[in-house]
Amino acid sequence: MNDSEFAIETHGLSKEYADRVVLRQIDLALAGSQIVCLMGGNGAGKTTLLGCLASLVRPTAGEVRWFGRPTAIPSARRWIGMVAHESRLYPQLTLRENLVFSGRMYGIDQPLAAANRWLAEVHMSEHANRFPMHVSRGMRQRIALARGLLHEPRILLLDEPFAGLDDAGTIWLTQRLRGLRDAGLLICLTTHDAAKATELTDRTCVLRYGRLCQVSQCDEADAMQQGRQARVA
Amino acid sequence: MTAHYWWIIHKDLVSEFRARRVWPAMLLLGIVVALVFSMQMDLLPHQKQRIVGGLLWLAVFFAGMTAVDRSFAAEHEDGCWQGLKMLPLSTSTLFLAKLTVNLLALWALQILLVPLFFGLSELPLLAHAREMLLISALASPGMAAVGSLVSALAAGSGRSGSLLVLVVLPLLIPLVLAAAECTRLAVQGQIDGTWWRWIQLLGAFDIIFVTAGLLLFEYAIED
Repeated sequence: MNDSEFAIETHGLSKEYADRVVLRQIDLALAGSQIVCLMGGNGAGKTTLLGCLASLVRPTAGEVRWFGRPTAIPSARRWIGMVAHESRLYPQLTLRENLVFSGRMYGIDQPLAAANRWLAEVHMSEHANRFPMHVSRGMRQRIALARGLLHEPRILLLDEPFAGLDDAGTIWLTQRLRGLRDAGLLICLTTHDAAKATELTDRTCVLRYGRLCQVSQCDEADAMQQGRQARVA
Repeated sequence: MTAHYWWIIHKDLVSEFRARRVWPAMLLLGIVVALVFSMQMDLLPHQKQRIVGGLLWLAVFFAGMTAVDRSFAAEHEDGCWQGLKMLPLSTSTLFLAKLTVNLLALWALQILLVPLFFGLSELPLLAHAREMLLISALASPGMAAVGSLVSALAAGSGRSGSLLVLVVLPLLIPLVLAAAECTRLAVQGQIDGTWWRWIQLLGAFDIIFVTAGLLLFEYAIED
């Protein structure tokens, strides 16, 4: 599978909408087994960059590669899991049915068994037959994470994953992400929370006005400083 | 591809069966339009034969678009559409699945409206059943294809509803006219070369609209 040592590479990635430039010439190369945090103020381009990395947003210029391959190949999307700010769960399907549908779409053998296994993993088995609107945001976030991991991706992208989680949910998600990083996944997440970035991530990328300002292996002081800069931006 | 196609259709039908928010509204609108038209038709039988086709297909168009419009609007709730776009499936599979669901909605509508229109117009349905089946089979795919394509575009731009009918109606005028003319000739018993040429035209519209949808859908769903 691996044509490149990097899980994600971007070359000259730019994105413009009609009235504004959101990303300018982003060059990134991220290997596996690490947690990378995209930081920046509102409108810095974090979510757009994450969308480009997920192939959801088509760049105006430049390209994204997953393991050295172009993202336009539908089968390559199996390598990517994503947990967005919204749950992306179908409201008329139960939590279990949402996972089974996703499993079927990814061609997983025995999608029902896989869904049940992941329901247990995220401690949601007893809520499996409930509909998304009948559970809390934290529970939906757990199911969204289960759906993002159901097909065993190599890259996990998360957009503001801690937003709306209570303390228990935050601790649980932090532990899960560390476990996944140790299992070899590249985890790329956006957050406004400098303290969380310090605690969790191995590398921080700071975006300012669509430009990548800093990419660093960071210690605590570094991350805090980058967090402050990102807030100012 | 085949499995993806069937599971998306299954998901959409299960969702509609549970929510019942599109098909009942579509069927109710169709019935209301049929009743309003019939109340205004104080005509002789041979005059009714001339206009029933046009009224029938206008009713199918307007009521059908309510279902077609919602086929993508529902996907945009809570970001589901972005989730669907991340799945390892081709855009053509997604388009064909959505087209099929819309086609089923249009056929369900016609199962209700064709007997209703014939009954209210006091025309013998059974005498024209085979012809009506053929017209229905050929008129609906083109309508569903254009509707699916424009609905995806409209839902992406957040302008479902008003934009759909405005864009789809001009595109579908030839198809609605052909279906209406086929129906008029059928109820007047004129199954001749002219009728077959209209039927061939319906088939040609289907091929053109479905092909155009397959080619353009990728661009229609782009953010």
